[in-house]
Amino acid sequence: MIYRDRIEQHIDRFPEMPSLCRRLIGYMDDPNVDFKTIREIIQYDPGLTANFLKLANSVFFGTVQEVSSLQAALVRLGTGRILEMVLSLSVSSRLAHDLPGYGLQAGDLLRHSLWSAIAAQELANLLGMKEVETIFTVGLLHDLGLLLLDPFVQEQRVPFDEQRDDGNASFEQTERKILGIDHAEAGAKILAKWHLSSEIVAGARWHHQPESASEHQSLIYLIHLADMLSFSEGIGTGIYGLRFNVSPESVKAVGLKKHHLEYVASKTLDKMKELEDILT
Amino acid sequence: MTLCVVDIAGMRISSNPEETLVTYSLGSCVGVAIYDPVLRLGGMIHCMLPLSKVDREKSLNRPYMFVDTGMQIMLTELYEAGLRKSRAVINVAGGAQVLDSQGVFKIGERNFTVLRKILWKNGLLMHTQEVGGNKSRTISLEIGTGRFSIKSGGKLAHYDLP
Repeated sequence: MIYRDRIEQHIDRFPEMPSLCRRLIGYMDDPNVDFKTIREIIQYDPGLTANFLKLANSVFFGTVQEVSSLQAALVRLGTGRILEMVLSLSVSSRLAHDLPGYGLQAGDLLRHSLWSAIAAQELANLLGMKEVETIFTVGLLHDLGLLLLDPFVQEQRVPFDEQRDDGNASFEQTERKILGIDHAEAGAKILAKWHLSSEIVAGARWHHQPESASEHQSLIYLIHLADMLSFSEGIGTGIYGLRFNVSPESVKAVGLKKHHLEYVASKTLDKMKELEDILT
Repeated sequence: MTLCVVDIAGMRISSNPEETLVTYSLGSCVGVAIYDPVLRLGGMIHCMLPLSKVDREKSLNRPYMFVDTGMQIMLTELYEAGLRKSRAVINVAGGAQVLDSQGVFKIGERNFTVLRKILWKNGLLMHTQEVGGNKSRTISLEIGTGRFSIKSGGKLAHYDLP
């Protein structure tokens, strides 16, 4: 497990969470914080403010009435949505990089992350599952581990390609076999280091093995299924193609039917494209 | 040579011999390329889902998202541009799926089934079909030569006119 040790050392050196998000999360945990404080943090960055307003009026995040000021957006959307939007704006540039090891072009991982986030939320709405507030954030960050593992996958491309051509294993099993760790576990370690909530960490950790999670089960089932739908639609498929296992427990637990998937896929594409345009 | 990208849920028709139509990363989606060697006329579509009835509203502003509405429009436009059924060379790829023992994610199989029915009803035959499995595929069609290509997992295969 020589790779696992090397990778764990890299986790310590992985960049911190964007500082703006860190400050906002700190404030949001405080029940006495007012919108004025949050507004001042966001307003400090004019570029962020402009894009924040575009996001606030997007089909996915927006409400019926258009908002034209930061103050109005904050009041209308509430703190949960604000954090999701600021996180999206802060991490999108990192997710937009190309990942040559995984065979992903620039923008592929961002599209995959946005698709998963939006589709998970759409699926939750469609199935009437309301107890999943952080679902967009989990979807957005669930594959953060790819950024950490990409150079190691690139170094080991020969065995990865051999496994793809010969084996029947799913890709995350191949990662564990060759590197001693998969991108889900690596991502969860980064998110834990960023001090994000237990839902977000668990969502990343178990998105390929949802039945192994001991808490936040509904959320993780939905993230898993949205992730699988993203691969199905060819959004963010790299060297591994569609070689991922769908968890039967997830399908049964949420009562998933084929028409749910098709409806959600039809709704997600345009929302993803709109957010991608704003974020890049 | 100009690359013209056909987006997901998109369609393009070309008779410019300098152009190559290409569509990337077909997972469960199906990609269809239709070519008339006499007119050097070609079309390509990238459909995500089998039937438009799942979302009627979407099918009005994004008809190419669905195999049924998308193929109908592409075929009509190609016929209007002069395509003859007897000359049509049809190449199909995609229809893959994730590893799903429950069968809920068989979107690729359903896409291909609907496509086959539409072609059959129109009296059209497939020249090449590379569908199924769990590979993601990228396809291209050279308008000047009619050469169809499939790229997947680092491998590239060319299919020249019959």
